[in-house]
This record gives sequence, C-alpha cells and structure tokens, in this order.
Amino acid sequence: MAYQHRVFGVALRMLGNAAEAEEVAQETFVRAHRALGDFRGDAKLSTWLYAITSRLCLNRLASGERRLVRQGEDALLRLSDANPRPDTALERGELEGALGRAIAELPEDRRIVVVLRDLEGLSYEEIAQALDLELGTVRSRLHRARADLRDKLERFLR
Amino acid sequence: MTCHEVRESLSAYLDEALTPDERARVDAHLETCADCPRELASLRATVTLLRRVQPVRAPVGFVDRTLALTRPRPWYRRLAEALLLPLSVKVPVQVTGVALIALLAVYLFERTPELKQAARFDARPDAPAEDRPAPALRPPIGAASTPPAQRAKPVVPAPTAPPAAEPGASQIASRGESDRPDTSGRRDAAPQSPAARVQPPPAAAPAPAREVGAFVAPTGAPPPVKKEALGAAQAEAERRQAGLERSQDAARSAPSSPAPRAAATPRVLGPADVIARVAVQDRDAAERELAALIARVGGTVVQRRSEEALTVVEAVIPQPRYAEFSEAVGRIGSWQVEAERPDLPALIRVLLRLQ
Repeated sequence: MAYQHRVFGVALRMLGNAAEAEEVAQETFVRAHRALGDFRGDAKLSTWLYAITSRLCLNRLASGERRLVRQGEDALLRLSDANPRPDTALERGELEGALGRAIAELPEDRRIVVVLRDLEGLSYEEIAQALDLELGTVRSRLHRARADLRDKLERFLR
Repeated sequence: MTCHEVRESLSAYLDEALTPDERARVDAHLETCADCPRELASLRATVTLLRRVQPVRAPVGFVDRTLALTRPRPWYRRLAEALLLPLSVKVPVQVTGVALIALLAVYLFERTPELKQAARFDARPDAPAEDRPAPALRPPIGAASTPPAQRAKPVVPAPTAPPAAEPGASQIASRGESDRPDTSGRRDAAPQSPAARVQPPPAAAPAPAREVGAFVAPTGAPPPVKKEALGAAQAEAERRQAGLERSQDAARSAPSSPAPRAAATPRVLGPADVIARVAVQDRDAAERELAALIARVGGTVVQRRSEEALTVVEAVIPQPRYAEFSEAVGRIGSWQVEAERPDLPALIRVLLRLQ
C-alpha cells in the first residue's frame, strides 16, 4: 500500500472527515518534503510519516481549530457504509459499520494506538517511536483500546 | 501472577510482544485458570475483526494536489494570487465602495445648489412664480409664465463693450440682489453670453403659436402675466438696471449710449414697442444677419423662438440707432411694420417675425 493511502487512512480514522483528513495528509507530505534533510535513517520512512500524521491529527483534535467534531464523527460512522464493495455481504457491511463506530468512539490516545497497530500493522516499537511514548504505555493503551472494542463488538465475536 | 496481571498482558501476548520470561508465566497461568483463556479468545477474535477492516484509500487526485503544494509556484501565480483577493475580502470591499459612492452622491447633491435647483424644477414644474426667490430662474413654460425678468434682462445694451465684459456686468447686477445665491447670477449671465444670443434656451422653442399672437395684439397691452409677478419682476428689473448702468458707465466708450433715466422706466418691460414682419427667403441666414445687425447697432437679442414657418426675434435697440437698424432690416428682407408705439422709448423693444 502506497504511503499516501496509509497516511490518509490514519488521518481519516482519527479525524472522521475526508476533507480534514486530506488537509492533514497533504500537510504531512509537505512537511516531510521540507524536512527531508532531517529524516534520520534509523527509522523507517513509513514510521516517520506516521509520526508526522499522528502528531498533526492529535494536535488538531486537541486544539480549538477542530470544529464540527460531532459532524465529523457522524461522517466517520457513515464511512464504512458509504463505499460497500460489490462482494460485501450485508452482514459484513453491518460489521464494518459497527467497527468504524467503535473505533471512532475510543478516546483519541487509545484510538491512535489501535489504528497504528491493528489497522496499519506497526510494531510496538514503531508505535512508541512515532508517538514518542514508552513501550509500556503503548502496550497498556493498546490493551485498553482492544478491551473497549471487544465489549462493543461482542455480538460479532460468536 | 494474578488474573488481573495476566489479563493486562494478554494483548501483548497475542502480539508476541512479551519477553520470554513474561510469556512463560502467562502460559502457566492460562493452563490453570478457567476464565483467562476465554478472555484471551475474545481478545484474539477482536483483533481478527480489526484486521478485516477495509483499508482506506486516499481520494483520486490526492497525489497531484499534494505535489502541487510542494512544488514552488511560479512568480506569475503568486502575483495573481496576491492581486486577486479572495471573495471574502473582495465582496466587503466592493460593498463599502458602493456605499461610499452613494454617500458622496447625496453629499454633493446636498451641497450643490445647482443640482438642487434642477431637481426642484423637475419635481414641481407648475409651482407658482411667487414662490421663487429669483423669477428669472423660472424657465419659460407658457405665455403666462414667460418670466418678465427675462424680458427685462435685454434692456442691457452693451453697445460696444466686448462680450467678455457682459458676464462681469451681470455679476455686478446679481450682487445687488444679496438674498440670492451666487449661482443665480451665473444663470442670469448665461442667456446674455454670445453663444446664447444665437442659440436661446431650448425651453423657449416649443412655445405655442398663440403666444406670438399675444405679442401682435395692441401695442402697449400688458401680457397676461400675474400682477404680483409682474410687479416683482419690474422692481427687480429696475434694481438690476441701476446696477448695470453703473457698471456700464465705467466700461462703455460707445457714442450711442442710451439715456439711462429713460431706460429705467417700466415701459421697456412691456410688450414690444415695434412689431414688424420681415419676409425673407432663408430664415436661418436672415436670422444670422439680423443678429449681426442687432449687435452692430448696439442692441441685444432678448428672446428668440423658432417655429415651423416663423422665427420670432425679440430685440432691444437703442433709440438713436433705430433708424439705422430699420433701414438695414429692410435690406435683409421686406420689412413691414405692423404696430409701432407713437412715442418710442430710449430702448426700443422690437419684435420681428421672420417668415
């Protein structure tokens, strides 16, 4: 998966709104382009991009600049229903909707961890590096996020 | 290891993120505990669900839009963006501009008497003459309202004084009427200017034919003008006459100076002293010759109306040169006096009908 899709995906999951997600994703690449000289080879390029995106999303969510939060979350709830694949069964659409909703309802600091781990497939170390967190913090936040999701998605777990 | 500690580690256990030591202890607990394996199973199922979430794709055109952002924009684009303000700025600026222009227009209108006069004329063309501070400003609408003051004006014979001196004279005249705005003086001057002598105000043109008839009627009969208006106009004409005479005495060098005392008599304000018909071939040419002649003998064209088959020229001729004038008119066309006052005043009012 090309970087732009990954970066955009994280931003969309975090912000819940395609327009804002595109803004953040574009800014991620513009900053990366500008700071290419600062890029240290000891991290993967993808980790570096995730780090920039995550920081931009969390800043935006924390600042007053983020308006229409509720509207954005509503959009996020519709997200999984909006583009059903031709082969998707009704049941699967329902699951996707429930998953999207459950992720959107997570607290932001847990949401970013579970998105990076279970949707983007980053390792604990990469997440710790991208978010500038201790490994133990990543582990506990991820566990809380998964436990939340399990409780919300119980009916699909049979 | 308690169940609580184990459960906290189960996510990392699934991800194989535990140290070998931790992992061994969790494994040991899971073998003996009844609930923790179920907890592990539910977490594993949750992670499996999450991994099935469809990855999101960036929208079409995202890469191009992003590249456009990272590419330095050419100078002309930056200039255009700087010049073409965004709509959120442009619209308020334009609205403010329109409002300012409107305010300026109102302000100018309020401060400019000419514009106000013009607007008043348009609004109340039938207003009575007595209302006006300056009857001369009133445009000729019909025979009844033909301003007597306008007829009084030509009493001013500027015999040999250059035309440029005339506006000065009229300014002096208007200075005598202190209650009038300054602009009315300029208005009075307009019909006396050399251009106006040839081309009178267009409002005079459509005067009805019966008006001409009124002038042809008995010599010396007053025109059907309202009494008060006539009286006021006469008084004003006298005042103006006095002012003009003073100014002319200073400037004049012509031998044919009319007797000032006689000129001030109200009689000059009456209708024509002489009414004559002049049969000509070419009315326009005749009119031009006549205008030249009137100027030559030191007279003034008071009024001029052009109708289909008739051009009426009203002029004031100084009496000493009246003989010369009548002789010269005879050369312009066949001149036939229809009415003539027995005792001609110093300034003879002549009404010529060119046919």
